[in-house]
Amino acid sequence: MPNTFWEWVAFLCQKYFPDFMRGLGVTLELAVIGTIIGCVIGFAVGVVRSAVIDKGASPVGKGLMGVIKVVLGVYVEIFRGTPMLVQAMVVYYGTMALWGWDIPSFTAGIVVLSLNIGAYMSESVRGAISGIDPGQIEGGQAVGMSYGQIMFHVIMPQVFKNLIPQIGNTFVSAIKDTSILNVIAVTELYFAAKTVTGTYYKFFETYIIISVIYFVLTFVISRLLGVLNKKLEGTRNYELVKEPESTDE
Amino acid sequence: MSEPILQVKHLVKSFGTHEVLKDIDFEVQKGEVISIIGSSGSGKSTLLRCINMLETPTAGEIIFEGKPVSYKPKDKNHFRSRVGMVFQSFNLFANMSALKNCTIGTEIVAKKSKEEATALAKKYLKIVGMLEYQKARPAQLSGGQKQRVAIARALCMEPDLLLFDEPTSALDPEMVGGVLEVIRDLARTGMTMVIVTHEMLFAKEISSRVVFMDNGIILEQGTPDEVFNHPTQERTKEFLSRYRQ
Ligand SMILES: Nc1ncnc2c1ncn2[C@@H]1O[C@H](COP(=O)(O)OP(=O)(O)OP(=O)(O)O)[C@@H](O)[C@H]1O
Ligand SMILES: [Mg+2]
Repeated sequence: MPNTFWEWVAFLCQKYFPDFMRGLGVTLELAVIGTIIGCVIGFAVGVVRSAVIDKGASPVGKGLMGVIKVVLGVYVEIFRGTPMLVQAMVVYYGTMALWGWDIPSFTAGIVVLSLNIGAYMSESVRGAISGIDPGQIEGGQAVGMSYGQIMFHVIMPQVFKNLIPQIGNTFVSAIKDTSILNVIAVTELYFAAKTVTGTYYKFFETYIIISVIYFVLTFVISRLLGVLNKKLEGTRNYELVKEPESTDE
Repeated sequence: MSEPILQVKHLVKSFGTHEVLKDIDFEVQKGEVISIIGSSGSGKSTLLRCINMLETPTAGEIIFEGKPVSYKPKDKNHFRSRVGMVFQSFNLFANMSALKNCTIGTEIVAKKSKEEATALAKKYLKIVGMLEYQKARPAQLSGGQKQRVAIARALCMEPDLLLFDEPTSALDPEMVGGVLEVIRDLARTGMTMVIVTHEMLFAKEISSRVVFMDNGIILEQGTPDEVFNHPTQERTKEFLSRYRQ
């Protein structure tokens, strides 16, 4: 049997290596899928909630838009206003109690994480949209572009670019937040650690191990994202185009 | 006179209790170059913005080529594609090159082919002297260059009427000349234009008609000679005297 603290750490690492790796795999899977779906939800909800209702639109269209906006507003407020731990419980046990659905923990985890990320991301998207100089919208209107065309071609590409760092941060947070999902028995990294502690009761050693794993993971990913952002900022250079005289007409 | 290309009838615009435009009647004939002058806050920008439906008037009607323009998004967008607007603050699309700024409207609004749109864009970028900079983004251009790209963007739609809201007010003095030169050339080609400006000499030189606005109404209008040399209203005389020192 190991004696010292470090011996225990080494022992646990070795013995439970496959379990930690499996947990890590689930954590990454949750974070990646949750961030992707969450961003899709966030962009969709953010765009709809920011939409300016045209004064000349039909009354039915205006009414429908109004209702959708209220519903989405309620969704965002609820998911931003309650802890994710509670959301996980409500989604997992609630769907069972109400409709008898026995959804797998992993699926429930993805749903909760995505909806949570979506709610926060939608607010960032809304902020980023309102941060774009409204002159560009008028510039688009002045050439006859529709609101949708202006959003798609002018505003959203800029919003997306501005939000890339934020998407990276969201992913890093998601890696950490997945640990909450152990409450509905999602077998992610924290859950794996919890299982390990059940055998040898070495709490400190076990949690130090997963702390290091979480930290290395988020640290490396943050650095990589930093490099990516630098690359995406691009260059300020451009080339002058000298056209030969013959391209006149 | 033939039918005006644009008529503004009984236009009223209020922001809350502030009546900025008071029953404006105004029309533009094909080929006219109209300068709108007047002191700050008199409602010149608001009038242009109402004409291009960037503001919804409180009352009144806009009639384009004999037909009232409705505020239904489709009609509004079609109307705007026929009436160009150049802003004081350029309002170029920051995520697009100068060339793309010019082709986007022709491609997705006028539904021209990419080749056609590019050819038009190059033609007009050349006219405004910005062909060399077609690959630059707005952030990489000076104010005067941005404004010339913005004019090219408007011209690409081959509009029937072009509106300018103080196109040179945001520019350094040395940039003003180049932009005015572009507008002067357009006037020579017979482009119908309405120009809000504080450049009195320029207005006097290129306009076929000058409109003086004061406090939400058109107080006086006529040929440049009538308005600048023989104004009939006290307010006009007072306004012009400020430019004569
Ligand atoms: N969006 C707005 N909301 C409220 N009031 C406005 C708005 N736009 C303009 N106004 C008011 O309308 C009046 C006329 O403004 P406008 O911009 O049309 O003047 P202008 O003649 O273009 O002046 P300038 O020569 O300074 O550009 C001003 O008193 C202004 O405060
Ligand atoms: Mg103005």
